[in-house]
This record gives sequence, C-alpha cells and structure tokens, in this order.
Amino acid sequence: MLLNRPLIGMILVLILVILEGCVVTRGTIGEPFKEEAISAIKKGKTTMAEVVSSIGAPDRIVRGNDREIFHYYYYDGKSPALLLLVLNFARMDIKSDNLYVFFNRDGIAEEVIYGNRTDRTRFRLWPFGD
Amino acid sequence: MTNVAARFLSIRSAIGALCILLLCAGCSVRRATLNEIVTPEQVNFIRIGQTTIFELAAKIGAPDEIAESDFGSLALYYWSDTKSAGLDFGAIGRLFLPYSPSMRLNKTGITPEQLQVMFDPQWTVRAYGFSRKSSDEPVIWFWPF
Repeated sequence: MLLNRPLIGMILVLILVILEGCVVTRGTIGEPFKEEAISAIKKGKTTMAEVVSSIGAPDRIVRGNDREIFHYYYYDGKSPALLLLVLNFARMDIKSDNLYVFFNRDGIAEEVIYGNRTDRTRFRLWPFGD
Repeated sequence: MTNVAARFLSIRSAIGALCILLLCAGCSVRRATLNEIVTPEQVNFIRIGQTTIFELAAKIGAPDEIAESDFGSLALYYWSDTKSAGLDFGAIGRLFLPYSPSMRLNKTGITPEQLQVMFDPQWTVRAYGFSRKSSDEPVIWFWPF
C-alpha cells in the first residue's frame, strides 16, 4: 500500500506534465460549402446572378477557354501539438475544397466541378509516417 | 529483502527515465501537410485528346487552381509536405539551471509539388506532367550544414 502512493503520485505528475503541453489548433479559410446549394445549380439554366445569390460572390473569377469560371474555395487545417519541457511534437494537416462553376457567354452555368477533401482532414500528432 | 529489491527497481526506473529525458532533451519535430498526394498511377487513365477536365475532376477531385496560359487553360493540383526538426542543446541545462541559453540546430524542408494539366479549347487534355521532386527527406534531420 505504501509502495502504491509514490506510484500514484508519479502517474498524476506524468499526466499533468503531458496535459500541460497539449495544444490543439484549428484554422479555416472561407465557409464550408452547402451541398444543397451546389446541387441547386442546373446546367444550362442557372444564371450567374442566381449562383451569386445562393452561394455568394466567388473568391476568384478565372477566364479559361474564353469562358468565365467562378472559383470558390474553403480550407480547413487541424494541428495538434505536444510541447513538453524537453520534447516537442507538432503536426498540421491542411486540406481544401474547391468549387468551379463554368459559365457560357450568356452567363448561364455550363458545368460544375466540385471536390471535397476537408472531410478527410484529421488531428494527427505523430509526425512520422505518411 | 523485498523492500531492497523494490527500491533498487524504482532507482533503476528513475535512472532510465532520466536517460530517456536527456536523450530527447531539446528535440522538436514538426510536420505540415497540404492536401493529398496525387500519384502517377492515379492519373494513368488520362488519354491525351480524349479525357476532359470534367472526367479528370470526377476521378481525382477538383483542381486547386484553373489558370489561363498562352498555350491554353491549365488545371493545377497542389500538395506539399513540410518537415522541420530541431535540437536545442540548451534544453538539458534548463532542466537543472534557472537560465540556460539556446544552442539550437534546425532544419526545415518544404517540398511543394504539383500536377499540371493543360487543356485545348474543348477542355480536353492536351498534356500533363508532375513537378520535379528530389528524394524524400527524412522527418528528423536537424543538421543544417
């Protein structure tokens, strides 16, 4: 019983030391996309103004192959860190979602490209491996 | 006898913990990744003059950027892996002394990579290629010279 006391104390100190150095950070750029707003875009029907009113103004307007393309993006970054007195581990995982709406010369949506990666962003502390 | 054995065991554990502490003292390992790697195997399906940007996006996701060049439109996929490691020799002193100056060796390697796909006016792939990449850097490599 007497032997257990220092052991419990050591475990408590160890837990306190480990928790003291824990840092969890999350950073985002832009707003996550609403799937229903994207699926509401109908090819050959939805106008530029309707896209702007449902999703908002684009983050970038690109010109490609003589067409206007609206580019929307969203970034999500997760970063846990362990900052101990003598040893520091930190890892950051950033992923982006991108939405492109291609318009024809009359300002009608022709094509939509949407890629979602941020749902695979993870809090990973261990900096080794893939 | 049991008490002596237990005490010897605890002293040994304490010395072991101290050795590990000294070995790790001042080590810092940081890593940052942006997006997911696109491998050549993932874009094997691309047929020049046949595959469109929409088929490409359906298979590997939307590009990070679409840009216009003198030769046609480009789709760019970005990803990177940043590895940073450091060793602070002053950290050992800080365990025992109220003040110990930093004596730090650090190395950071940023490897931005990209896949570039060029399109003709019908958004069909005209050419594609990966950015050059040197060999994989180890995660822990603090020697800066």
